[in-house]
Amino acid sequence: MSSLMRLSNLTVQRGGAILLSGLSCELRAGEIVVVLGPNGAGKSSLLLALAALIPASGNIALDGKDLSDYSRNELTGQIAWQGELPPTEFGLTVRQRLELAAGEEMGSVESTAANMDIIPLLERPLGQLSSGERQRTELAALMLRQTPIWLLDEPTAHLDLKHQIHCINMMKAQRSQGRAIVTVLHDIQQAMAVADHLILIDGKGGAEYGEAQDLFANTKLSQLFDAPVITEGAVLVPDYGDRK
Amino acid sequence: MLRWSALIVAVGICLLLGLATGEQWINPFAASSPLEQTILWDLRFPRLLTAFAVGGLLALAGAWFQVLLGNPLAEPYVLGVAGSASAGAVTGLMFIPESAWVMSAGAFIGAWIGIVAVMFFSHLGANRMLLAGVVLAAFWSAVLALLLALLPEQGLFRAFSWMMGDLSHSDLPIPLLLVAWAIALTCGVMLSRSLDKLLLGERHAEALGVDVKKLRQRLLLLASAVTALAVTAAGTIGFVGLVIPHLMRLLFGSLHSAVLPASAIGGGLLLVLADSAARTIIAPAELPVGILTAIIGVPVFLFLLLRRTQ
Repeated sequence: MSSLMRLSNLTVQRGGAILLSGLSCELRAGEIVVVLGPNGAGKSSLLLALAALIPASGNIALDGKDLSDYSRNELTGQIAWQGELPPTEFGLTVRQRLELAAGEEMGSVESTAANMDIIPLLERPLGQLSSGERQRTELAALMLRQTPIWLLDEPTAHLDLKHQIHCINMMKAQRSQGRAIVTVLHDIQQAMAVADHLILIDGKGGAEYGEAQDLFANTKLSQLFDAPVITEGAVLVPDYGDRK
Repeated sequence: MLRWSALIVAVGICLLLGLATGEQWINPFAASSPLEQTILWDLRFPRLLTAFAVGGLLALAGAWFQVLLGNPLAEPYVLGVAGSASAGAVTGLMFIPESAWVMSAGAFIGAWIGIVAVMFFSHLGANRMLLAGVVLAAFWSAVLALLLALLPEQGLFRAFSWMMGDLSHSDLPIPLLLVAWAIALTCGVMLSRSLDKLLLGERHAEALGVDVKKLRQRLLLLASAVTALAVTAAGTIGFVGLVIPHLMRLLFGSLHSAVLPASAIGGGLLLVLADSAARTIIAPAELPVGILTAIIGVPVFLFLLLRRTQ
C-alpha cells in the first residue's frame, strides 16, 4: 500500500489550548484509520487540520509535499472532508447540494443519491429534511468526491441502524477500492468493524497511533474514555451494568 | 423560462406605467405636444432608468450581504454604510445647503469612510463581522443624530427626504448607474458558483476549493461599493435589498446564477413601481419612495411566502 499522507510531530491547538501534540503517523491507500477519544478531545480539529481547514504545527506531507504548499484547488482534488451539517437558511435543495459537491461530474448525482437512499428527497430543500436525511445527503456528497483521501467526522451520527450499517459497509467498499479514510467514530463496535489503525486522543494533549488490534483493549479504552468497557465474546462493549 | 419571460414583461409594463403616471397621465404612445414629450423623455424616462438601476444595485448588494454574512436578515445597510453615507450627506448639506451635488459627494465620501471602517473587520468570521457592522451602524446613527441636531431648520426637510429615499434630486449620470448595474451583475454572475458553495458554510466552501478569505474580501468590497453608489444616487431606500433576493429565491431557486440576475431585474422593477406610485399618489407633491417600496413589496413577499409554504 502506498503512503499518501505522513504526519510528523503534529500539534493541533484551538483557542490557545493544545488539543494534541507530537502525533506522528502515516496514512496509506486502502486503509481506514479511526480516531477515538472523549468529547472535546480534538478529534474533529485533527480532521480539520488534515484537510488544511485550520492551521497546525509540525508537518503534514501529502504525496511527499507539505500540505501548506498546495493551493485550495489542488487540495480539493486530493482530500474530501465530511463534517458538520451545512446551514439550511437559503433553501438549497438536495440535488443542488450534491451538484455543488460533484463539480463537473453531474452525471453521477442520481446513482450516488440512489446508493444513499435519497432519490425521493432530491428536489426537497435541505431545511425540510430530518437530521438523518441530511447526514445521508452529506455522505452522498462525499461519495461524489473521487479523491484519494476521505476525512469523515462522525459519519454514522443521526443515522438509523440500517443506514449506519450501510455507511460502515460503504467505507469498507471504498477501502477495498484503494481509498484512504480517516474517520472519527463514537461507537466502539463500528470502530472495531472498520479500523486498520487507531489514533487515540486523550483530551489532555496526548495522542497515540498504532495497529487497531494492538490498541483495542478494554483497559486502554476504559482509561481513554474514563468509562467501563468490557469484553463480550470477540468484541468490546460499553458496560451498561445489569441487563433485564 | 416562463418566470423569466414574466419578469421581463413585467419590467416592460412597469416602465410604460412609470412613463404614463405622475401629476398628469400621459399615454406614451400618443404624446403629441412638445410639453408632453419633454415630460415623458426628459423628466420621467431618466428618473425611471435611475430607479431601475438603483433598485437593481440595492437588490444585488442585499443578496451578496446575505451570503457573505450567512444571514438571511442581512441587507445593504446592515454594516453601517447607509449611516455613514447619511452622515456625509448631511455634512454636505450643512456646508452648502443649496447644492444637491455637494450632498451627493458628501454621501459618497461618507459611504466610503463606512466601507473602510468595515474592511478592518473583514478578516473576522461572519458573525463577528456582522456584530462589528451593527455596532458601527449604531455609531454612525449617533453621528447622524448629532449632525441633524446641528443642522439649520431649513435643511431638515431636505435631509429627512433624502434619508427616506429620494430619486427626485439624483444627479449621478444615468449611464454611470446603468454601467455600474451591468458590471455589478457580471461580477456577481462570475462569482456565482463560489457564492453557491458559500451557502454551505465557510468550511464546506473551503473544502470545495473556494478561497473563502479572498472571496469574502471581494464580496464585501463589491457589495459596499454598490451600496455606496446606490445611496449616493437616491439616499437610503430600505426594504429592496432585504426582500427582493428572498423573493427571487422563492421564484427562481437558490443558485446565484439565477438569483443575482433576477434580483438585479426584480429590484429595479420594484423601485420603478414604487417611484411611479410615489410621484402619483399625492401629486403634485411626492411621497418618499422608501415608504412605497415597503407598502408594495411586503404584501407581495408575504403572499408568495404563504403560497410556497402551503
